[in-house]
Amino acid sequence: MTGYFDFIKNLIKNGEKREEPLKGVKVVEITHFIFGPNIGRILAQFGAEVVKIETPGEGDRFRLGTVFGRFYRHSNLIYAVLNTNKYFVAADARNAKAREIIFELARRSDVFVENLRAGLVDTMGIGYQQIRAVNPKIIYVSCSGYGQFGPLSKTPSFDVAAQGVSSLAMKTGWEDVDEFYKLPDYFGDFLPSMLAILAILAALYYREKTGKGQYIDISQTESLLRFLYDITYFSITGKEIGKTGNIDPTASPSGIFKTSDGKFVAISIVTEKQFEAIASVVGFDDSKKKDRFSMDVIKELNEKLEKWVEKKNLKEILEIAKEKGFPAAQVLDDLEVFKDPWRRERGSIVEVQDRFLGKVQVPGPFAIFSSTPGKIKWLARPVGYHNRLILKRWLNLSDEEIEKLEKDGAIGYWDEMPGTSPPPTWNKDDEVFRGEKDEG
Amino acid sequence: MRDEYLLKLFSEENKPFALDELIVAEISGENFAGAIASSLLAELGAKVYRIEFEDDAKKISPFGVQIDGIGIPYFIETRNKEILKFDEKAKEIVQKADVVIDAMQPGFLDSIGIGYRQISEKNPRVIYAAISPYGHFTSKAEEFRNVPDSDLTAQAYNGYPTLIGNPFLTGKHSYPLRAGIWAAWIMAGANAAVAIMIALIERGKSRKGQFIDVATHDAIATITAFPYIVGFLFGKPRGRFGTIDYILYPFGYHKTKDGYVVIATPTDADFRALLKILGRWDLEPDWKFTLDRITDDVERIKILDDELNKTIQNFKTYDLIKRARKTRKIPILGKILGRFLGEPVIVKINTLQEVLKDEHWWIRKSFIKVKIDGKNVLIPNVAFKMSETPPRVLKVLKGQL
Repeated sequence: MTGYFDFIKNLIKNGEKREEPLKGVKVVEITHFIFGPNIGRILAQFGAEVVKIETPGEGDRFRLGTVFGRFYRHSNLIYAVLNTNKYFVAADARNAKAREIIFELARRSDVFVENLRAGLVDTMGIGYQQIRAVNPKIIYVSCSGYGQFGPLSKTPSFDVAAQGVSSLAMKTGWEDVDEFYKLPDYFGDFLPSMLAILAILAALYYREKTGKGQYIDISQTESLLRFLYDITYFSITGKEIGKTGNIDPTASPSGIFKTSDGKFVAISIVTEKQFEAIASVVGFDDSKKKDRFSMDVIKELNEKLEKWVEKKNLKEILEIAKEKGFPAAQVLDDLEVFKDPWRRERGSIVEVQDRFLGKVQVPGPFAIFSSTPGKIKWLARPVGYHNRLILKRWLNLSDEEIEKLEKDGAIGYWDEMPGTSPPPTWNKDDEVFRGEKDEG
Repeated sequence: MRDEYLLKLFSEENKPFALDELIVAEISGENFAGAIASSLLAELGAKVYRIEFEDDAKKISPFGVQIDGIGIPYFIETRNKEILKFDEKAKEIVQKADVVIDAMQPGFLDSIGIGYRQISEKNPRVIYAAISPYGHFTSKAEEFRNVPDSDLTAQAYNGYPTLIGNPFLTGKHSYPLRAGIWAAWIMAGANAAVAIMIALIERGKSRKGQFIDVATHDAIATITAFPYIVGFLFGKPRGRFGTIDYILYPFGYHKTKDGYVVIATPTDADFRALLKILGRWDLEPDWKFTLDRITDDVERIKILDDELNKTIQNFKTYDLIKRARKTRKIPILGKILGRFLGEPVIVKINTLQEVLKDEHWWIRKSFIKVKIDGKNVLIPNVAFKMSETPPRVLKVLKGQL
């Protein structure tokens, strides 16, 4: 094992770098909020050319969805990050000409992603059957709360709704408090979006071999149900697991404890070997090993562990975990995550020099690749910012034709709301905006 | 009509898999992020060999409940896989596989001669995905290499539990709180599967593999981006916000006369419609705009939350849902003003038993019945549908599908 970590570090830093994996893949998305947009974000970070179509004026309504209402240089940073490396076209789907434009873009794409209400795209004339008729190789992805067919399919959804409908909502909370809490930060959007990307990439892989496109139906609720092991537990025992506070019912002892220096540490003992490792220092009775998964025994072990933890500081506990080999980690808050030196060394957080937003620190790619690292090239742009660039490049329209579309109200730009518009310092003499030069 | 068309389109009969012929070797011990990554690929048709040194993972289960000696997560996440004990034959599979998933202690496989540096020498096309708490490089990864992974510790280091819980509770109920599923392991597994597919598509062009590193302790935060953005913008953490959201209000859970509902009003129009439904137009002047309802001050938003809760508790769940549905059905006006008319999202929060009774999921085949010793055991089916290459569960360790 000598030098293993150095070998990997060197491989990641200095190993052979190759062309972007998804270069040449054209994606068109009509998406809003998180579920849809996060799909294009990841594909674009690995080289796909992603065109996002929004409504002129307000655009994706999530442009206004800032954390605690805070904008940064007229921009919503969360939106900016979830829409990295994309091209922004604004076409008003209520206008017939605009629908033609959207249709023409979609027929030239490899992948089309939408997360509107189930069936709405059919009414807009850009449903799967309509696009497939002119582009049989299309990989068409519909993202929704409950799927494209079935009695619930037309019910509106958001992350929080899917968590409620799937029953996942009822699993997080204290046993003795009549409340439950959602999984934060839109888990019911982000998990399904990653699974949608998996499906898209599998479809691209298959298309490479056979030339065939296909339709993908992915829902928030089913993505959550896929990992709700309680379904199986219930079918065997007839009981619901419900809320278990900080106890992971698959680990014993397990919980979040306060150290002598006032920090929180999570300890979760998954295997027998780990139990033996921690038993030797905390002083667990060996006879508990056998039935350690009954709730009473978990609580008994937790009580003992809690007393042990409160006499030690965080550093001491982590040292013991390292030496003995059992799972333990500090419970971090937002700021500790942001400042974490490990994340900076790893590249989980990177500094980007953006033409609009200046120097900002944003999350890096979701995984580290030795030869084809993901890149954050630019953050989101204002509504309709790339109209000219994309309509020229994809549809060969002339400046005059584009101006006509603007006059007819088919395409448009941002309004003056923050989140949709450029920063006040923006210089209108902008070649990218005029469609004469690409980003980057 | 649409339903019928789609049911036919997504039928699974006589269709190929997207990942036919792809060989995956998964060595993940008790780290279920690795098992999840490979079961997602196995559902898409990859030939997955799960190679084991010990059978610790088999025993892991909620409250120790077993299916014929097998824990529930193991039963679910070994779908379509072949299980092998580590031996010379298994070693050979690892050396020749298209994809290797290594969720063991970082450096362990290297120490026994089947790490990336040894395999890639003979098989440069290998895509090697490492999954571990802190990754396979950086000083922290090396320092903590002996600390095994768990979902709870990974949630903790992602900053997740500090966001969960009611800010007005005290004592132990003010501690950070665990998300009730394996949130970090699931996200890390999905991330690894996506990363592998990206590398696989690239391999089609370059004919070369590569090394991929996924850290469970960062799997949620890097995807959601929120902790980073909050740290950058505010220089302070958010803390617990109960059922209130950081961006929108209302966007959470509320108690009704006979149960619980989710209420989400992503726009001001939706909020106005909600006030009409509840008969609380008196609240409109003070809380008109999204910016009035910013949740940065929990004491302040609690005033509105308490008012709404007082009213919502007087409604029966289905009455509220019916009223919300009505706002979406104003035919003529809807056509003209469609997007300006509010439509609050109001749905019922289900218990698991209610989910299992809902015909919607049975029509969609969201669950699978497995017959074991004459008894039906339910497992979750695949997460998504594909028309040409439907992902499927073909076999499980015990019982008949």
